[in-house]
Formats: sequence, C-alpha cells, structure tokens
Amino acid sequence: MMPTWPPVPPPPGTQPGSAYSTPSYQTPAFTPVQVRQSFGQPYSASQPYPSHNFGPHPPHVPQPQTNYPPNVITATAPTSEPPKKKIDWPESVRNYVQRSFLPAHLDESVTRQEMEAKLKETISQANDSGVMYTINWETMPLPQQMIQEERSRVRAVAKPMLTLTPNKKSPAVPQLASLSLSSKKRKSWDVAEAEAAAAAATPPPWRSNTIGRLEDRVTFSPADKRLAAEETTSKNLSKSQKQMEKRQKRFDGGYKSTYRSPSPPPSNGPVVGTCQDLEKRYLRLTSAPVASLVRPEPILRQTLELLKRKWKKEQNYSYICDQFKSMRQDLTVQRIRNEFTVEVYEIHARIALEKGDLGEYNQCQTQLKALYQMGIKGKPIEFKAYRILYFIHTANRTALNDALADLTPAEKEEKAIKHALNVRSALALGNYHRFFQLYNDTPNMGAYLVDMFVGRERLAAMCNICKAYKPDVPLRFVTEELYFESDADAAQFILDYNGQELLEDRDGKILFLTGKAGVLFEDARATAFSRIDIKGQI
Amino acid sequence: MDSMLSRFAEAQVKCLGYDLSHTLSPDLSYENLRAVYKSCNAHDVKAVIKRGIQNSIQNSVAGSQVVGGQLPKEEVQGWVEVYHAYWKAVGELLAIQESSTTNGKSSNSSWSTIYESWKELLSALIRGYLSHGFEAWTVPCLYVAGRHLRVFAIKADTERSNNMSLESTAEANFEDDFNPESEKNQMLEDCARQLNRVFNLCLSDRAPIDQSRKWGIYYVINLLFKTYFKLNSASLSKNILKALSAGRGDMPALESFPKSQQVTFKYYEGVLCFLEENYVEAEKHLTKALDMCHKDALKNKELILTYLVPCHLLTTHTLPSQKLLEPYPRLQKLFLPLSRHIRKGELHAFDLALQEGEDEFVKRRIYLTLERGRDIALRNLLRKVFFAGGFEEPKAEGGKPVRRTRVPIAEFAAAISLGSQETLDNDEVECLLANMVYKNLMKGYIARERGMMVLSKSGAFPGTGI
Repeated sequence: MMPTWPPVPPPPGTQPGSAYSTPSYQTPAFTPVQVRQSFGQPYSASQPYPSHNFGPHPPHVPQPQTNYPPNVITATAPTSEPPKKKIDWPESVRNYVQRSFLPAHLDESVTRQEMEAKLKETISQANDSGVMYTINWETMPLPQQMIQEERSRVRAVAKPMLTLTPNKKSPAVPQLASLSLSSKKRKSWDVAEAEAAAAAATPPPWRSNTIGRLEDRVTFSPADKRLAAEETTSKNLSKSQKQMEKRQKRFDGGYKSTYRSPSPPPSNGPVVGTCQDLEKRYLRLTSAPVASLVRPEPILRQTLELLKRKWKKEQNYSYICDQFKSMRQDLTVQRIRNEFTVEVYEIHARIALEKGDLGEYNQCQTQLKALYQMGIKGKPIEFKAYRILYFIHTANRTALNDALADLTPAEKEEKAIKHALNVRSALALGNYHRFFQLYNDTPNMGAYLVDMFVGRERLAAMCNICKAYKPDVPLRFVTEELYFESDADAAQFILDYNGQELLEDRDGKILFLTGKAGVLFEDARATAFSRIDIKGQI
Repeated sequence: MDSMLSRFAEAQVKCLGYDLSHTLSPDLSYENLRAVYKSCNAHDVKAVIKRGIQNSIQNSVAGSQVVGGQLPKEEVQGWVEVYHAYWKAVGELLAIQESSTTNGKSSNSSWSTIYESWKELLSALIRGYLSHGFEAWTVPCLYVAGRHLRVFAIKADTERSNNMSLESTAEANFEDDFNPESEKNQMLEDCARQLNRVFNLCLSDRAPIDQSRKWGIYYVINLLFKTYFKLNSASLSKNILKALSAGRGDMPALESFPKSQQVTFKYYEGVLCFLEENYVEAEKHLTKALDMCHKDALKNKELILTYLVPCHLLTTHTLPSQKLLEPYPRLQKLFLPLSRHIRKGELHAFDLALQEGEDEFVKRRIYLTLERGRDIALRNLLRKVFFAGGFEEPKAEGGKPVRRTRVPIAEFAAAISLGSQETLDNDEVECLLANMVYKNLMKGYIARERGMMVLSKSGAFPGTGI
C-alpha cells in the first residue's frame, strides 16, 4: 500500500485492485495529503520508468485517528532525538539517529525536515508495535535512504497515473532526477529493495502513532485539513481532480489488494511489519518479506475482529480464507508466536472445518500442534479431539497411534477427547450402534468431521445388518440404528444403492428385506473405505 | 597412520572388504586416535597418506603370493581423499574426547562438527565409487561410514536440543509453517538423505552382478529403515521398497545376502506391513525373520515377536503359549494378561488389562491391533452362552443330541452385560452379534422380530470345534 500520493481514481463504481466489494468502513479522519503527489506524476509523464509497473496501486486503509502533516511535526520534533514522551530511548536508537545525521550520510536532496519526520515515524512505529528493543537498528536504513526509496517507488508507480493526470506540472522533477542517480549508486540496494524500503518508509508520519497521542490529535487534526486544502489550491488542482480525490476517499475503506516486488533480498532476523491496512490479500511469498507490507500485531488484532464480524455477517469463505492466510503469513514472517497466533489459527481451523476445507484445516492443525507444544495457551483439548476424529476419517493408523501417544491421562478424561476416543474404539470394534449414539452427541465442531465419514460407516453398518439379520427388519430400525433423520432418508439411502427391491410395505409397515440384500452394499463399502483423503496430510 | 595404511594395503591386495572397512572405524581408543592424528599435520597429510598407500601396497604385494600389482593412480587418489577426510574426522573426535576428559569448557569441536566431517568421509567414499573406480568388494567401507554417520547424527541432535533453549533458529524461514519436530531431528534427517545417496549409489550400479555394488544394498536399506523409524516417518521406507522392487530383476536374491541382513530386512518389511494393517503379509515376513534369526539373539527375537504375536491374534485367532514367551519376561508382561482374559472371555478384565498396558502398547504401535482382540474375547464369551444353553430334546429316540441353536438375544445380553460390567440395551447387543456374524466368528442370523439368535447347527463358532 502507498498512501503518500492520491491513488488512481477508479472508474465509478469499482475499486482498484480489489476482488472483494464492500468497503468495510469509512475513514473519518483521513485527508489525502498532496505533497508526494507532486513528485511522481509529472516526472513519470516526462520520463517513463520501465523497471516496475505496479498497476493500479491500492490506497491505504487509514486508521481512524490522528492526522497531521509532516511539516507540522517537523516543527515540533527535536533535532537529533526522538520526540515526546519521557521514554528512555535505547542506546541503539540513539546511535541510529546519530548515524542519520552524520555528515557523511547526509543527502543533499533530502531536507532536514523530511529526515526528522521520517525518523520520528520510524521510531515511534517501532515503539508502538513493541519492537523497539528487538529491531536491529544497526541495519535499519537511514531516513534519507528511506525517503529516496520512497521517491523512486513513487516514480515506479507514477506511470499508470500518467494517463489520468497528464496535465500536472511539478516542481519536483529536477530534484527527482538527481535522486534517481544517487540511488543508483548504492549497489547493495537493488531496485526491489529500494521499493521495499520505500514501502517501509511509506506509512507517513501523520498516522504513525497508532496509539495516538492526544495532544497531537487535538492540535494537528484541523491544521492538517486546512493545510491539505491549502496545498491543493496552491498546486492549482483542477476541479475534476478534486472530485477524484473526494471519490477516492469513499473507496478508502474498501478491501485493497497488495502488490509486492518480486525479489527483495533476504533480511536477517524476523521482519517487523509497518503496514497499517486491516485487510490484505494473500500472496505466497517467494522471497524475503517486506516490512511495509506486513502488519504488526496490534493491527492484526484489529484485523481479526474485523474478520470475525465479516464472517458472521457475510459468510464469504473465499474472502475469509484468503484473509486468514495473509494474517497467518504476517504472523509467521514476524515470528509472532503467542496466544494471539493460536487464536488466529484456531479460528481459521474452525471456519475451514465448517466449510470442509481440509487442506487449510490441516495446515492450521499442524501449526497449532507445534504452538501448543511450545506451551502457548489455547484450546488444545478441542483441537486434539479434532485430530483424532480427522485421523479416523483418513484411516491413518500410524498418525492415530501417534495422536494416542500424545495424550496425557488427564487429557483422556476431557469430554471432547474422551468422545473422540470413544468414537474411535466404537468404530474399531464395529460397534455402529454406539458410534451413531456418539455421533448424535459430538462436542464443539467435531460433527463436521464426523459428517465426513458417517456415510462410509453407514455403509459398513448396512453390510453388517444385511448379513446378520434375517429375514427382514423394520425400516424404522434402520433409521434409528444408523441415525437417519427420517424413514424417508433411510429409504432414500437404500434406494441410492439400488435397493428398491428390498423395501416392502406390509400392513402399513415398511420392511427392509435384509435377507435378500446379499452383497449389495459390499462394493460401495469397499470403495468408500479405500478412498483416503491426502490433502495436506499431517 | 602407518600401521593403518599397511592394514589397508593388506586388505586391498587380498580384496578383503571387511578388513578394509575396519581401517575406517572411528571406534578407536584415545591413544590410537591420537596416534593417527598426530602422525602428520594438516600441511603434509595428503602427501603422507599417498606415500603410505603406495609404499605399503608395494610391500604387501612383495610379501604375499597374490598376484596384485599397484593400484591405478585414479584409485589411489580416491583413497587419499578418503583417508584425508578420515584423518580430519579423527581430529574432531580427538578434540571432543579431550574436551570431555579435561572438562574444558568449550572446545570448537562438537558432535555436529564431527557429523559434518564424517559426512565428508562418506562423500569422499561416494566420489571414490563414482569417479575413482573403487571396486565393489570395498562396500563394507560404506557400511562403516553410514553406520557411524547415523550415530553421530543422533548425538549431534541430542547435543543441539540440549543447547537449544539459548539459540534461536536464526536462519531465514519464510515458509508458512515451522516444525519443531523436524528441527529436533535436523541432523538425522540430513543423515537419511546421505544414506539415500548411498542407496542410490548401490542401486544404480550397472556392473555385472559379481562386481556390483548391489551387494551393498540390503545393508544400506536396513540402515535407512532404522533411520526412518527413528524419525517417525516409517512411511518413507515404502519408497525404498518401491525402488527396490522396480529394480528387482537384476538384483541378487535376498537369500544370497548375509543372514543378518536378511533377518533385519524381513523384520522391517513385516513391521511396515503390520503398520498398514496388512496382517497376512506381515505374518509371513515376521515368521521368516523369526525362523532365520540366530537362536541366541534374544533381543531381536523379542522385537520380532512383539509384532508377530498380535498378528497371530488377528489372522488365526491364536494366542502365544507360556512356553513361547518363557525367555522374554518383557513380552510375558505385555501379552500374558491379555491372553488370559481373551481365552476366558472376560470382557471387563480384558478392557482393564488393555487400559493398563495402553502406554506401552501405544509406544510399540500395537495398541490398535491388540484392541481388536476384544472380538475374540467376546466370541469366547458367547460360546460359553451357547454351551450353557445345553441340548435340544432329541427328536428321535436314541438320536444324537443336538445343541440348542436358537438362543434368545436376552441371554447373550445378560452375558455381555455381566462380562463387561456395563449395561447394554438389546439393540447394542444385536449390533455386537451382527458384528460377530459379519466377521465370521459366529455362524447364524438374528431374527429380530422374535428376539432370537439362530445359530448354525454345524459349526456355530467356526474354528473352535463346534
């Protein structure tokens, strides 16, 4: 996401880069700031940048919170020390700040103000997301570098804007040209990383303080609007452009896809996310993650709440699944493994279970197992029970044995696990009578799993009944023993296997002629048991 | 070093693979390790080895009647690499022994560096076969290298998991998941990959059978199986078996391999079948293994019987005799209580015994199989009910008495409820009876309307004499 320039206004009624429609909420406090916009567009108009075409770039989803323009901040920001709050900044941060202002590192194309703003943003973000002490400040790009990359990124994306805003003149052109030269000199930073860093630098200072400082909010919010407006007028924006921006605002709440560069270089240590979007599409990583595209835990917590609401309301599984996958990815790349992580996996596993998506369910289960083993709290009982039921479904004896070995005596007494174990032993001994009673009484969401093999067990039971009972049994008996909803369902089941000859109406009572069934259900039973699901097998 | 190389030369000249392999053993006393390592330094080690090999071979050739001659230059070069790697590994081994005896805090040597250096040795050997023309009779060297690689891998894994708490897994991992299990066995997994290389090295040899590395294959396979089982991924062994049966045409018959290799192989093959619930096949393999097993190898026999006994329970419904289990106290503890309850049809006692031994059974992966012994216990109980039913009034005067074959469900229900010490309703009892019929443990049918079980007049309980 790239909030520093106004995104391409989409055609009316559509959203750029979004597969999902409904905007989740409006963002009351967001005011697009025009500063960066003036960099990119005209530049690209005059000089096409071939390297990276990012397509329509999604606008960011801002947090409903403080906005203030960078120049206001810089006025208040201390020169060489991170601002505000009596926080004891760690030595590493101080060094980082000092390093930034070393004459050797100064970049004449970046103003001191810009640098200060960037520093403040970077550091307060680190502080807010609680990684201040874990982040490697030694390798953190300097603010001037970030700004450079940010600009080059703006250029890269500017191209698609070209057609939409061709008439704009920008004072920044010469400056940018020189910038691009200087950034090329840095060999260790390839273009992709430059973008990464740019992206990292992206969340602008006016919304860096997720935890929002009150005085900032009070002081700067109105100013922000005024300033933005001034800037707009000062740049002689056309009326239509203003409208475009207005329209854009309406779409800001919507779900936006995220594009990332193809090959950022590997980083050392876990990434610390800076992305503030609540929603993000899942994209399989093929290389090192980019901090600006990764959401830190506080944001992810909000995301989870949002997704829970959405799932309740919309039940759109493909959307939810995609969102959860991206959440899991963000957690993984940041190595966040705590109770929140467990919660995310648990919820995704349950939803996947409900929708019969065993592939995702399995991935979640594998992770949950590992997370529980690390001693992180969650609902291990519930999920261990699911595991057992799942292995019954896949008839995976080795895994079942391992699952048994994994249980403590106390766990065996827990209701859900006990139930699963009873299901297992009932089936192992062919006690379909008990199995169907247990089926009726499955705790949590285990019934979704049992549903997956209940058909096959019905066939097995049917084979038993047909061989053992002679000459007939009432259809009602089958209904009750095999736990069909109604006699009609039971009859339908028999008919499905070409058993129409076996049903007989005698004195108003329907009989099932077991004695004549022969091996009618045997083949079906054999096939049902031979098919074993291997999706994402644990 | 010199004595080692002269043993090498001796073995080379006489083509004695096992003697040759002994020269690569890391199981040396501290003094011997030291002697080997100190006999040269890193600078001249290769030259020393090369000279040593050439000289000692010349001596051996001169001193024996065997018509040998010099090793080809290529091969000498290969062996130099091998012994160079060996020398380095010995250095590491020496270092760890020294650090453990002097209790020095930390030397640079650890089991994982030993593992790495030993892996180098194995790689040097593999290269020797691929490009230096090592002959097939030298495969025992691969055995020694492979066997110890596995040992070192396990030691390295234990060592690492002991230090684990401090170091985090720093290497970048962008996979969607992480797996502490696989981190735990990192080295052993790598070892499995190395052994797989050796397996393919042996499998893919196209030389005529009497000069083929294929003769090394079962030893390597057994090593691989052992590793896979330890890694809890026994299913990977299936791939090996598949590759083996694909190339079976030009493979020497298993029977022509050393018996020790045959027994081990059959054992693993049997256990693999067992885990897949293919009890008939499992029984075949395990029986073969047991028959061939050396009579004094009690430990091995015990392992075989651990799986063979449950197999028999399911395939032929037979129980182990006291005499069979006599030499194995552990097996007695494992199987005798269960057997007794099965024999007597004591359902409740059976359940308790199963519960009692559950942890042990699960650990040996026989729980799910033994559990099914309950069917047999139930069959024996029902059989008692049948006996208790007595005889029908003979139809004709002086006719042979006929057992009562129409047994009320209620009688079975009473027996089962009594035996299992839980109250079952008639429907569940019928379900159990239906199972007996379905599994051919009982012959007859249920007449539900009349609440009767009608048993066959001839052989109501197949295989039990009535």
